[in-house]
Amino acid sequence: MKDAIVLSSRVRLARNYEDLPFDAAQRPELAAKCISRTTGALKGSRLGAAFELHRLQDMSDVNRRAMAESRIISRDLLRVPETAAVLIRAEDSLSVMMNEDDHLRIQAVRTGLDLNAAAQACFEVDDVLSRQTAFAFDPQLGYLTACPTNTGTGMRASLLMHLPMLTHGKQMGNVGQLVAKVGLNIRGVYGEGSEALGSVYQISNQVTLGRTEQELISAVTAVGGQLCDMENALRDKAMNEGRAALEDLVFRAWGIMRHARLMTMPEFYQHWSYLRLGAALGLLPLPVQSADALLDQAQEAHLCVWADETLTGQALDECRASRVRQLIAMEGGRLE
Amino acid sequence: MAENENGFVPCEECGVNEACYTISVMMGGQVTQRHLCADCMARMNMSIATGNVKHLLSAIMSAITGTVAEPAEEPREDVVCERCQTTLSQFTKSGRLGCPACYRAFREQLTPMLQQIHGRVEHAGRKPLDTEEAQRSRSRHEELQRLLEAAVAQEDFEQAAVLRDQLRALKDEEAMG
Repeated sequence: MKDAIVLSSRVRLARNYEDLPFDAAQRPELAAKCISRTTGALKGSRLGAAFELHRLQDMSDVNRRAMAESRIISRDLLRVPETAAVLIRAEDSLSVMMNEDDHLRIQAVRTGLDLNAAAQACFEVDDVLSRQTAFAFDPQLGYLTACPTNTGTGMRASLLMHLPMLTHGKQMGNVGQLVAKVGLNIRGVYGEGSEALGSVYQISNQVTLGRTEQELISAVTAVGGQLCDMENALRDKAMNEGRAALEDLVFRAWGIMRHARLMTMPEFYQHWSYLRLGAALGLLPLPVQSADALLDQAQEAHLCVWADETLTGQALDECRASRVRQLIAMEGGRLE
Repeated sequence: MAENENGFVPCEECGVNEACYTISVMMGGQVTQRHLCADCMARMNMSIATGNVKHLLSAIMSAITGTVAEPAEEPREDVVCERCQTTLSQFTKSGRLGCPACYRAFREQLTPMLQQIHGRVEHAGRKPLDTEEAQRSRSRHEELQRLLEAAVAQEDFEQAAVLRDQLRALKDEEAMG
């Protein structure tokens, strides 16, 4: 049931080389050293064969942004594309970003609620690299990072959660307080400022020093589980007590998503949220995973890659509507 | 304080996260309140921890009055990281350290800051594995030590002296990094 709410689990480790300044990304010769050292160490290891090196400067801008939209790389990695690179193991969404805020950001993503599996994948790469190279580490402070907010474990464990009923019921204020009390952080993933478009939130650990990786993962998993329970209770209530109203929202969104000819991004998020809710509750003939895939595919850079041209304004909205219709049709969404 | 469409009061600093802290500022006998999220509160705590209160207060003032205050002169002597030449004031302004050695250079100022951010200053968790180079030198070290002990046991003091010198040379090499 938790997968109906948690889209994905992500763990990332920040690591730096002992002998390089933290701002290596700004200095081409040092940035190159960081890339060759990391690539050499990883490719020469037993894990090496599955990793592929991508230099951001060799990719088109739209392909880079599409990678960030899929969260394979962070948006921060796009800041200095001239020196940034990433080693990717595509089979399980494992990546080693180079020349981001820290020299290395080892990141693993898993579908649903499974932070432990994501962490294990990161630890494996971390161990392989630390056998070959010297990371900046202090026995008292742990891993040393460019920003003191990451010092210690250098780990950020996060869950991407869809919380439409908590949002609809104006409960997110309470949720924020609950989460902050236990040293975690929650924020909207999409939209500007305080928006949380699509009711998609990211919950993650705020502190990184003084707790073990396992303690941090357990804390995020526990609070994530609690939020699932709260969201599920509201979903159950809506199904039992106000089913017609809930179904009306879900099926209106379903209708618009399957027939609209122009769709702006904010409108997409609004309908997507009810579509995913309907899929998770079994009201729609659409697997939850397909709804989640739509979320990436409707983003700007993904659409430009799909259409193979740079789209803006109304052309982009038209392409989005068309892509959404196509993907839903491909899923065999034929329930009436 | 107006709630946004997500049902929470947004942070006045970043406008993104939910404001879960309220700080009160006394100004000209009037108390003004600011609502901040955990992230911005942590950054503010960082400024307080490094003694950069002047900078912090001017930021709060300008946010309230809508004016930009002139940055105050830095009266204290700056601490400099010998390895990368980053100064303490550069760090407090940017929030970013220059290199791993900065952690030693600014330890005095960093420790209370880390305490503010994380609540603890003792690392718990994973450690790097020994590098292969370290493993090789350790096994070389152990090998020499074993041969030395064997030579002494056999009363081959000439050989023992050679091995002792090799062991010393290896230690010196390691100390030189």
